[in-house]
Amino acid sequence: MSKIQRIIIFVILLMLLAGMLFPMYWMIKTSFTQKAGYVVDLKNLSPWPLTLRNYKDLWMWGPFLRYFLNSLLVAVLVTLGNLIFCLMVGYAFARRRFFLKNLLFLSVIFVIMIPAHIIIIPLFLLIKFFGWYDTYLALILPWLVTPLGVFLMRQYIESLPKDLEDAARIDGAGDFKILFSIVMPLCKPALAVLGIQVFLVNWNSFLFPFILTSSQKMRTLPVALALYQGYQTIDWPHLMSASTISALPVIILFLFFQRQIISGLTAGALKK
Amino acid sequence: MKQKSTFLFLLPWILILSLFWLFPIIYSLILSFTRYSVLTGEASWIGFSNYLELFKDPDFWTALKNTTFFVVGTIPFTTFFALLLAVLINQKIPLKGLFRAGFFLPSITSMVVVALIFTNLYAKDGYINFLFQLIGLPTPEKGWLLSEKTALLSIMAMDVWMATGFYMLLFLAGLQAIPEELYQISDIFGASFFQKLVHIVLPYIRPMMLFVILLNTIKSFQIFVEIFVMTKGGPLNSTLTMVYMVYDTGLHKFRMGYASAIAYALFFIIFSFSFLQMKLFRVGKAIGE
Repeated sequence: MSKIQRIIIFVILLMLLAGMLFPMYWMIKTSFTQKAGYVVDLKNLSPWPLTLRNYKDLWMWGPFLRYFLNSLLVAVLVTLGNLIFCLMVGYAFARRRFFLKNLLFLSVIFVIMIPAHIIIIPLFLLIKFFGWYDTYLALILPWLVTPLGVFLMRQYIESLPKDLEDAARIDGAGDFKILFSIVMPLCKPALAVLGIQVFLVNWNSFLFPFILTSSQKMRTLPVALALYQGYQTIDWPHLMSASTISALPVIILFLFFQRQIISGLTAGALKK
Repeated sequence: MKQKSTFLFLLPWILILSLFWLFPIIYSLILSFTRYSVLTGEASWIGFSNYLELFKDPDFWTALKNTTFFVVGTIPFTTFFALLLAVLINQKIPLKGLFRAGFFLPSITSMVVVALIFTNLYAKDGYINFLFQLIGLPTPEKGWLLSEKTALLSIMAMDVWMATGFYMLLFLAGLQAIPEELYQISDIFGASFFQKLVHIVLPYIRPMMLFVILLNTIKSFQIFVEIFVMTKGGPLNSTLTMVYMVYDTGLHKFRMGYASAIAYALFFIIFSFSFLQMKLFRVGKAIGE
């Protein structure tokens, strides 16, 4: 490929990238505009004069902090649960023989593939039946073990050498001790991929937090954002500030852990 | 000793699987044959009535039509743009990492956030209209999401924008698996960029392409969040989709039995589509590698 062709491709890509990122930029720009006298000046693409007023308003406004903390709490707890449980389950699949092993592993693949819409109604009823509706339990319990996470951990542990585990067993270490003090440290790269992936999915999650809660104080950020719109006139500067805050952890994680996020997302697709 | 710990290790999955997946899947199948009242908690067996009602329900046909239109209308564009971007980025150009990251970013942003941004952009006095007027194109009178003819198309365009980056990554992974020697040999024979594209890239990327289409089909049939945030199925049912109808029927109108029947109908449709694709293109072989 000649140099000129490559320059053309580069320029085309730059233009496409600008178009691709424009909506995100528009969100951030709007979040910095003054609310009073908010007139959309479409010709003016610069964020100046910018004000942090909207962000201040949001944090001062009680419920918003609650939404943010709800999202954080749910995402963090679900992530921790997945790190521990997917490690345990993945380890059993990678290292142990047991009755109906193939069938149980098939169930993991089955749940990865199944369209989740099928459980909307029954899960709602089940959660109501247990009395977990509109509680943190409803937001956390069903997602503590992600089948994709089990799959990922099994693949990774299978690729590890067994020697260390055998040595530890000879030294008299118990099964749990072997798993958490020998295997777990070796799994750090896979756990990082899993943890970031689960955090992102749960931080962004809308459908199930939405159908399994009803009160304002149980709303997560995406639920609050989606329901906020219901009022008559939309206060775009504040709404876009809230959206930016919701998108920010994702962007930050993405900047630092791009490689892990990419391999986490493609893991399901590219099983080798 | 080992037996016991094996069971304990597996226990989290056994619990989650049976309680939150298997039980709901079976329970909802049973529900779909009943008339279930949430108020009294009583379910009465009505056989195939819910499924028969589906056939007579004009809303169901609208939802099925819209959902299918969404799937068939977005996937070719998403696939094409994703492959195009992947091929362009895979050339020897500077700032590769930046491009990859930038194109990918929208697809990990929250769907709710993306839907809100586009609600703003699609508004009557929004940016899209501004651009259209700038180049002298006609714009819908009430804004893109409020007019019947453009609402679904607007959401589709947004989805293509959002999903492209993710599938681009899959294609990039596929492209990187092509042996460098093939390019070198074709260079010796003086092959052009397009010749390489047609004779090397496309045959190699085929399994990945079929997989991308399959994955996207399963995902697109379940479109819900965008609809909920942007249009709530309106205007005049023009964006009513299957999953939105499941939600609306079950959790709004509280007809759990009928909602389950819709959910199972969609499940069956997704299953048949995927099965057909796998049979037609033998995707199974491609991902089994």
